[in-house]
Amino acid sequence: MKKYTTFLSFLSLVALSLLLWQCNMGSADSVSPNQNGTGGSMARFAITGNTLYIVTRQSLDVYDITQPDAPTRQAKAELGLGIETIFPYRQNLFVGANDGMYIFNNQQPQAPTLLSKYTHVMSCDPVVVQNQYAYVTLRGGVGCRQWVNNSSLDVVDVSDPANPKLINSQPMQSPYGLGVDGDKLFVCEGISGLKVFDISDPTQPRLHHNYPEVASYDVIPRQNLLIVTGQNGLYQYRYGDNIAENSMELLSKIPVE
Amino acid sequence: MKRFIYSIVPLLVLLITSCYRETEPFLNGPGFDGTGYRPLYATATELTHVQTAPARALKNPGKIYVLGNYLFVNEMGTGIHILDNTDPSTPVNLSFVAIPGNYDLAVKGTWLYADNGPDLLVFNVANPRQVQLSKRIKDAIPANNYPPHQDVYFECADPKQGIVVGWEKVTMATRPSCFR
Repeated sequence: MKKYTTFLSFLSLVALSLLLWQCNMGSADSVSPNQNGTGGSMARFAITGNTLYIVTRQSLDVYDITQPDAPTRQAKAELGLGIETIFPYRQNLFVGANDGMYIFNNQQPQAPTLLSKYTHVMSCDPVVVQNQYAYVTLRGGVGCRQWVNNSSLDVVDVSDPANPKLINSQPMQSPYGLGVDGDKLFVCEGISGLKVFDISDPTQPRLHHNYPEVASYDVIPRQNLLIVTGQNGLYQYRYGDNIAENSMELLSKIPVE
Repeated sequence: MKRFIYSIVPLLVLLITSCYRETEPFLNGPGFDGTGYRPLYATATELTHVQTAPARALKNPGKIYVLGNYLFVNEMGTGIHILDNTDPSTPVNLSFVAIPGNYDLAVKGTWLYADNGPDLLVFNVANPRQVQLSKRIKDAIPANNYPPHQDVYFECADPKQGIVVGWEKVTMATRPSCFR
């Protein structure tokens, strides 16, 4: 029995030191290899595994980065004009454009195939996805609709990515980036602030809280930490798991100079 | 009938072309408020002036990227701030990678991918205070000859003047001819 406890304590000691060592690795002034990061919905660059995707104004370019410092282009899909953003989610790539959203199958990361193009009205752009729903902000004032200032937040059912379906649309002011996590959807409204929507019912985003003073452009919600950039600076908030708790705590703000 | 066609064709042409005329709004387009965006140009040599500099204040923050405890923040048109975000209540600004014409970024492991005008760059960020440029792929990304904003008037970019690396908002006496 004694032998057994000694062995156990030895084991826990090893585990503890391993843990500590990992923590050290993370906090020191070095970046650990092979870790993938997270971008915001405004991104034109995205990485999944060993593939780097870049959307240019008119194409989706695919680079192999197995050798990280020597990207080699594997494929190029020519798309229409006005491509703005890319959001990889599970087996698909969601590409936001001025006139809609392209959905690619990504099972072969280096040879994505176009499944569908969702076109609502002449407008744009960024898109985020959670489970079977894509949230797209459409900012009025583009192309044919340039003097019609109709901005909106659309919910699109992408359970069949070859056949996306609009299921909800509501007006917005001047939406830019957006981010989704659990029952919360964060929408940047440019100089009009940051909006938090309750998506307990994912098909019906309901405005939960508005932060008019937080000018916002791009946003990343991840592990209860919300990072927002805008023309006044960089804000970070801690948010709770459940939107009903109503907890959004400002952790820090780096103002612009 | 012929007369009808003669009258309808110009109308159709007008309708079709007006839709694709991204650069010139209709007469009843959005009002010009006396401001617009002007392109900032760099020569091919200036474009390659890429370096790691000491941390600097945020001015015009754009897109963000998170990797572990690090936070990468684009400074529109000029480069990337690297922050240690181990404690999000006190983020520490570590360094600034000066990259003319930069708006986009992605990071994997110790490698940072960023645009430098039309070029794609790869940096080694193993030491965020001493970022090393490892690779430049020339002309990988066709230029976006418009500002990263919408509903704005801007001076049309003129490739003869150089490579567009950024846009500044200025007051303008007359309405510039480009719009998006």
